[in-house]
Amino acid sequence: MKYGLRFLKTLLITIPVLLWTLSVYGQSSDPIKVGANIGNVPWEFQDTTGEFVGFEIELVKEVSKRLGREVDIMNVPFNGLFAATQSGRIDLAISSIAITETRLKSASFAQPYYDSDQSLTVRVGSGIASIEDLRGQIVAVDTGATGDMWATENHEKYGFAEIRRYEGLAPAMLDLTIGRIQGYISDIPAMQYYAKDKPGLQVAQRIKTGGSYSMMMGKNTPLVKQVNDVITALKQEGFITALHEKWFGAPADVNTSTVKVVDMPAADDGVILNFVETFLNTQVFLDTYPMLLMGLVTTIQLGVLSIIGGLVLGLILALARLYASKSVKFFVKAYIDIFRSIPLLVLLIIIFYALPFVGLSLSPFYAAATALIVVSGAYTAEIFRAGIEAIPKGQFEASEALGLGYRHMMSDIILPQAIKIVIPPLTNNCINVIKDTALASVVAMPDLLKQATQAQAVAANPTPLIAAAVIYLMFLLPLVLWVSRLENKFKVGDK
Amino acid sequence: MSSLIKLENVTKHYGTFQALKKINLEVDEGEVVCVIGPSGSGKSTMIRCINLLEQYDDTGKITVDGIEVQKGKNLKNVRAEVGMVFQNFNLFPHLSILKNVMLAPMRTRGISAADAEERALNLLRKVGIAEQADKFPTQLSGGQQQRVAIARALAMEPKVLLFDEPTSALDPEMVGEVLEVIQALALYGVTMIVVTHEMGFARKVADRVIFMDGGQIVEQGSPSDIFDNPKEPRAQNFLKAVLNH
Repeated sequence: MKYGLRFLKTLLITIPVLLWTLSVYGQSSDPIKVGANIGNVPWEFQDTTGEFVGFEIELVKEVSKRLGREVDIMNVPFNGLFAATQSGRIDLAISSIAITETRLKSASFAQPYYDSDQSLTVRVGSGIASIEDLRGQIVAVDTGATGDMWATENHEKYGFAEIRRYEGLAPAMLDLTIGRIQGYISDIPAMQYYAKDKPGLQVAQRIKTGGSYSMMMGKNTPLVKQVNDVITALKQEGFITALHEKWFGAPADVNTSTVKVVDMPAADDGVILNFVETFLNTQVFLDTYPMLLMGLVTTIQLGVLSIIGGLVLGLILALARLYASKSVKFFVKAYIDIFRSIPLLVLLIIIFYALPFVGLSLSPFYAAATALIVVSGAYTAEIFRAGIEAIPKGQFEASEALGLGYRHMMSDIILPQAIKIVIPPLTNNCINVIKDTALASVVAMPDLLKQATQAQAVAANPTPLIAAAVIYLMFLLPLVLWVSRLENKFKVGDK
Repeated sequence: MSSLIKLENVTKHYGTFQALKKINLEVDEGEVVCVIGPSGSGKSTMIRCINLLEQYDDTGKITVDGIEVQKGKNLKNVRAEVGMVFQNFNLFPHLSILKNVMLAPMRTRGISAADAEERALNLLRKVGIAEQADKFPTQLSGGQQQRVAIARALAMEPKVLLFDEPTSALDPEMVGEVLEVIQALALYGVTMIVVTHEMGFARKVADRVIFMDGGQIVEQGSPSDIFDNPKEPRAQNFLKAVLNH
């Protein structure tokens, strides 16, 4: 079960920063590497042919053309854009990114080209017309986006039952449609565009937040000024207004930043953050560690429940596989084989998004727990079976000859001996289960990894990811070491 | 005297191989029967059928104290009346010597821990291991382990004890101590069926000796009948080989 990969992947993207940064600077003949959260309509998404299209896609292509450079666009989730920009993995990020004070501390922006507000999107007929109606309800946002920040700030004021954080629009809209969430708070232009041809959904309310979008680049890189100058020219030529008309069906208001040339947002202090300030930023850590601890609690709760559930299920399956009737054995074997072959992530998505259509709608926590239990039960069953089969036949015969029933034979004689054999592989399995809880972030579960990605998007700094890695290490490493010790001990005992 | 154990036309097949061929045997209460014969002659298979560690063919019938030995609810009761001692002791390695002896009476006879402990210590004293009660099986010699296994079987107060080559896995110097214990039990009048290669022991202890070969009881009789005056050529050859060894 090597599904903790997502986390590793994020780390692997962020870590080789310095090298990359060095190699990238000043090579203006290279294509501009652009990161975009594809699917963010109408800014950047795929058309039916698979081509990247949208307001910002056209804009960034035009900007690159004016700078005499090729453009290379890659799909990066919204909350990954910040680490990608700071690490130099990409030169420039688009995705209706709002310019904020915090973000300016670790990145630079060109002048804005769109003034936006947030919005509330609801299901038609749900009876929810405004934010006030969401008291005690579950609202959803895109992890780390402006909507997330607004909802977090106003959590208590409006008495939301919970803020659920998604990666991208599609899964959130699926959950809104089936009623798992009651409202979705996000940028108004994107939601108006999305809801346009969805009769079941409507944008119920504009939420005045202000905020302007622009392109984000590495802090104080030469590209910022170049891009800014091109945008000035494009505004003066009416290119951006034309884009607005094309994608929103109406010309832009002359008083908005889409038309008016405005100043480039001042960088915070003009200092390029060094490695330590970027990855081991004390202030960011202090600001975000309460969030991480909350995530850790969720991770531990999910891990413990899944481990216990998996053990119980595994034991039952193992006993059934060894001693039940032929037909039951067949089904148990099929179960074990199937669930050891299905990637946990696929199963999790099926449980979370498909089961509601047959009337079984589980919360993210229980969906994740179910997936983890179902899969770890299959693995645990094989471990128990191997353990039981390792017990000499004479132990069974002696128990039977003494007249012990099946239950007592198992509980008093066989299992206590099998447990010793299976403790090392079971502990390994437990470690895997805990790592796999990180996958639960795809169903908007606020586990440690999810909290860390959110924190790094809000702070626009990857320190929380490093902190999360350290936290995982701190409580998994002792387990890993303990298993090695046990394994060595048993090896010695064999000699 | 009524027979405690009765085997009628007992056969046993492993696939096409026939391990037991129409065995008929009655063992009376208090009788000590020793079963001898070459390896693979079906001795162990026969006694393992008596507590259904081996399933015999449907055509035969085995009763213990009038209860038929077959799968189902009664099996546990039959097994509680039939103690067994194995070649490889099969003590429970995760339990102390004392717990090994205490466990089954507590679980199947509903005896309190205190009573079970008292009984277990008595039995361990009888087999001469009481001072090792708190040790674990692997800390004991083979002979000591086998004596514990006998105490464990006795703790159930069975009506009959089955011994499946109880000294075959022992170092030679430990054989004597185990045979002494079994002999003492014989003197107490415990009903026993002993599969053994120890001819001297069989001659001394047995009320009746059974010679098996090829899955059949070939000849039976008193020790002097069998050892001094075997009638069947197969018994004669076997005994000549083992006694002149």
